[in-house]
Amino acid sequence: MEKGSEVYTAEEAGRLGREGITEPIVINLGPQHPSTHGVLRLITTLDGETVLKAQPDIGYLHRNWEKIVEGWQYPQIIPFADRNDYISAIFNEWLVCKSVEDALGIELDKRAEVLRTIFAELNRLISHQLWFGTYAMDIGAFTPFVYALRDREWGYALLEKATGARQLYAFFRIGGLRNDVPDGWIEELSQYLDYFEKEAYPQYVDLLTGNEIFIQRSEGVGVVSRDVALAFGATGPVLRGSGVPYDVRKAHPYGVYGEVEFEVPVGEHGDNLDRAMVRMKEMLESVKIIRQCVELLPEEGEVLTSRVPRVLKLPEGNYYTRLESPRGEVGLWVVSTGGLGPYRMKWRAPSFVNLQLLDHMARGEKVADLIAALGTIDIILGEVDR
Amino acid sequence: MPAWIRRAAVSIAKGHRVTLDQMLRRPITSLYPEEPVPHFPGFRSIPVLKANEETGKLNCTACGLCARSCPPQIIFVESVVGDDGRRKQWPAFFNLDLSRCMVCNLCVEACPFDALEMSADNELSAYDVRDLFFNMEELAALWKTAPAVRIAGGQKR
Repeated sequence: MEKGSEVYTAEEAGRLGREGITEPIVINLGPQHPSTHGVLRLITTLDGETVLKAQPDIGYLHRNWEKIVEGWQYPQIIPFADRNDYISAIFNEWLVCKSVEDALGIELDKRAEVLRTIFAELNRLISHQLWFGTYAMDIGAFTPFVYALRDREWGYALLEKATGARQLYAFFRIGGLRNDVPDGWIEELSQYLDYFEKEAYPQYVDLLTGNEIFIQRSEGVGVVSRDVALAFGATGPVLRGSGVPYDVRKAHPYGVYGEVEFEVPVGEHGDNLDRAMVRMKEMLESVKIIRQCVELLPEEGEVLTSRVPRVLKLPEGNYYTRLESPRGEVGLWVVSTGGLGPYRMKWRAPSFVNLQLLDHMARGEKVADLIAALGTIDIILGEVDR
Repeated sequence: MPAWIRRAAVSIAKGHRVTLDQMLRRPITSLYPEEPVPHFPGFRSIPVLKANEETGKLNCTACGLCARSCPPQIIFVESVVGDDGRRKQWPAFFNLDLSRCMVCNLCVEACPFDALEMSADNELSAYDVRDLFFNMEELAALWKTAPAVRIAGGQKR
């Protein structure tokens, strides 16, 4: 029997309160299915329209990241790490750079630190905009998707102006950034934030999150209690939606997050609505953080510090570094034997951990709510499969 | 009438107001292949070989630092061997496999001779993967036809 293809017996179905309605049937969703955000296969056991079990079958986008980078030097890993979470690539580069910088004790100039924080928050904003659009599509509203991509385009243009690429930036270097931002970039960033806060965000609220149909559709669906979320090791908006105010930016400050003021939005019940509203509030928090960073930004300063050794060798040992990506805590475990590259690297992908909650969320819900629950986890398959 | 029905009606009206407002504005999309979309300065697509503007000769000395820094190892460069058996500071070949290029700029940063630049020409798609294998002459020709930039070492753009 193939792994995961077991169906529920009548007895087990009866324990779920679904006895004798229809015969349970196994249905494949994906891997080529528009609602699964990439190439994810969901092996679902359905009783009519009700989900008895939803098992994600991952690995269709596996690229052997962890093995490949074992032969590489640390600076070479940065562009390949971009390919993990390709919607918010800045966080991946930052993680690789930060793990080497922390291990070697490289101090960055203030300007580089502030710019890194600005880029990360801009990327978080863009990532959450895409989530907003795709989640709306998951629950059957097409229009917000177009609006979200319209606003995301300006953010991508800003990133392209500074980094030279739209999605896979390869912009952070060990010791800072590859180049400084062009003239007038900060002003345009402020314009973008004003536009987002005053024009785009109210539209999002009017179109989707303030809509009564949306609220009734999401409320009480896909509930993850606080204890379950903690037991599964969920992080990011999935954990915060369940009411745990854990955020790496607050718990272990890095960059200039220790110097800026922001709130960590938390939900109450852990349903789809809470996770959605946590992300909506995080967009505004990102705007707030970028505004404060722009004021913190020093006029002068090296963006790429000259205090980086020419040959980057990590001392023998184990290193764990973490960041708060839009999807949760993304961590990198580096085992070094003192060479030019890592002996072993382990990528802690938040999407991968959060995806394990899908079965718990979807049991007893309708098929359409399974897709909605998948949307609120906000998975990126490049990161799940690595 | 339950209160939620009224709220639903109001929120639907609000949503329609947003879409109606947007409908009366100019479209922001462009018909891409017909209307070319310009890239911002500094956009990078493929490393190309830079030539000296006065002599027209390539700056490349075939030192191989770019090939060593390349993460997917797609740059193949070898220097000319003269009649006396000694290596000359001139590439015999410089091949680049664009099908695996990550467009990361690391080769440009590694080059100490100002011989590589990132071209902005991104319309290089091909029906055959062999067409994405560029040799020295093609890379030098690309440098002449499309704008290219060199950004390295934390400089200002």
